[in-house]
Amino acid sequence: MKLYSLSVLYKGNSKAILLKAAYDVSSFSFFQRSSVQEFMTFTSQLIVERSEKGSRASVKEQEYLCHVYVRNDNLAGVVIADNEYPSRVAFTLLEKVLDEFSKQVDKIDWPVGSPATIHYAALDSYLSRYQNPREADPMTKVQAELDETKIILHNTMESLLERGEKLDDLVSKSEVLGTQSKAFYKTARKQNSCCDIM
Amino acid sequence: MAESTEEVAVLVQRVVKDINNAFKRNPHIDEIGLIPCPEARYNRSPIVLVENKLGVESWCVKFLLPYVHNKLLLYRQRKQRLNKDELIDVTCTLLLLNPDFTTAWNVRRWVLQQLIQENSLPTFVKKENLATFPTERVQRIVQEEVEVCGEAAGRYPSNYNAWSHRIWVLQHLAKLDIKILLDELSSTKHWASMHVSDHSGFHYRQFLLKSLISQTVTDSAILEQSPLVSEHISDLPKDDNEEDTSAEHHRVVDLSHLLEEEVELSTDLIDNYPGHETLWCHRPLLLQRRHVFYLQHHLNNKLPHSQMRLSPVDSNGGTLNDLNLSPAVTHMTQAMDVDGLNDSNKQGYSQETKRLKRTPAQDSLGIEMEHRFIEQILSTCRNVEQARFANAYRKWLVTLSQ
Repeated sequence: MKLYSLSVLYKGNSKAILLKAAYDVSSFSFFQRSSVQEFMTFTSQLIVERSEKGSRASVKEQEYLCHVYVRNDNLAGVVIADNEYPSRVAFTLLEKVLDEFSKQVDKIDWPVGSPATIHYAALDSYLSRYQNPREADPMTKVQAELDETKIILHNTMESLLERGEKLDDLVSKSEVLGTQSKAFYKTARKQNSCCDIM
Repeated sequence: MAESTEEVAVLVQRVVKDINNAFKRNPHIDEIGLIPCPEARYNRSPIVLVENKLGVESWCVKFLLPYVHNKLLLYRQRKQRLNKDELIDVTCTLLLLNPDFTTAWNVRRWVLQQLIQENSLPTFVKKENLATFPTERVQRIVQEEVEVCGEAAGRYPSNYNAWSHRIWVLQHLAKLDIKILLDELSSTKHWASMHVSDHSGFHYRQFLLKSLISQTVTDSAILEQSPLVSEHISDLPKDDNEEDTSAEHHRVVDLSHLLEEEVELSTDLIDNYPGHETLWCHRPLLLQRRHVFYLQHHLNNKLPHSQMRLSPVDSNGGTLNDLNLSPAVTHMTQAMDVDGLNDSNKQGYSQETKRLKRTPAQDSLGIEMEHRFIEQILSTCRNVEQARFANAYRKWLVTLSQ
């Protein structure tokens, strides 16, 4: 079970702004890592843009699960994990991180921030610690303040999109993805599998 | 861009040569990976070397892979000769590009068998008490193969080929040596816990338990024939090779404890990682194995009672008397205790588990306990899949008591 990325974003009126992110792409082949990382940023932004304020959701895409929490104050967090990682722990992590972030970083900085300007350094260590859900989370059943029935489940990324919108178009228009990543996406799409070359 | 067959062959041979050269230049290459790159760039080699990573631009793979695959097949069909180096390069490339490629694993097994056979040194040594142990060389090879399997298993969920290879190695190289089986059981525990939907990984643990049971029963048959041996279990001559002595102790493996531990692992994982079918498949198999084990040893009386009933708490003080053991067996039990075999067992066991251990064979399946376990799951779980699996499991339990 693995965690791949942990990001904090601000849900603006039209776009989601990445404030800070941590990634663990060590399990990917060396030459794919930068593309994978770009895709995770792209995905995190897209999910936050398409999620309502004050909601939690899990979006499934092949063997990945993206868990998102958008708070009422527009601060949002996304965890990208595999499908073994327990979602309850992922949401606990998001709650914790956003809470801490909002105390350390001024609200005024959120709408205009970027990873370079935001001062919050804890994401890397959270990501690393939570790789093993047990060490990070006492896993007590008492921790069920979270009402799991309210978490929206999406079976594909596509279900987040508007009618008529295509993921392919969003990918090619994206400013976050480099040319190599876009080429990678095209090839993977053709073979009907993302991040799976054979 | 249409390319003639000759052009393709020339191109691929150049690429394979580039790969070979890269390995010669950097013997520490530990990874070969694909660089997403749909088109060749002017006469530049698709082979890229960065740190210890070898990159292959993706456009050439559609030429490279069939070529290497074909070469291997021709070799296997004896239509083409390959020397050892070429063979290694070919299988290496194939396995690195596609860790799930069956034929490459077959060739690897064949090579291992040749290695073992061609060497005139024995692979196993016999000791006075008739038991055999793998030599250090075999242990080393086994260790290496197990590592290769572990690496491959991590790259591909439920990598059947990697885990089958691992089983083959234990059967044919390690000859199901008990110490190696035990080591594998403990070393794969963490991996399995972190890959809860990897069916092959859990199947491997079933294989280990099954083998441990059959191997221990075999050895205890030997023990029985030689009363001298069973009395002196704790007085083995001190060897230079420490592994031999500890392996001997392990022959009096506490199988019931291992089985209980595995059930606890199953419970723990099911509780903490809801909704994984693999875990729900592992459990009934486990219970059945435990049940059969208890039945066999109650009926045949092959093993001294201490091996089944010996739980960490029971092994001390007055509770031993509850078991009505014969003096010879009591001595053996105490001897086992002295050499600290049960050190790892000295955690607290729940009342439930203790009670289960004293239950007669009829409820060695622990059906009652399982029903309570299901109840607890169903009353607290919010995962739809988990509820479905729990209900299916309960249905199975009900069929057992009919």
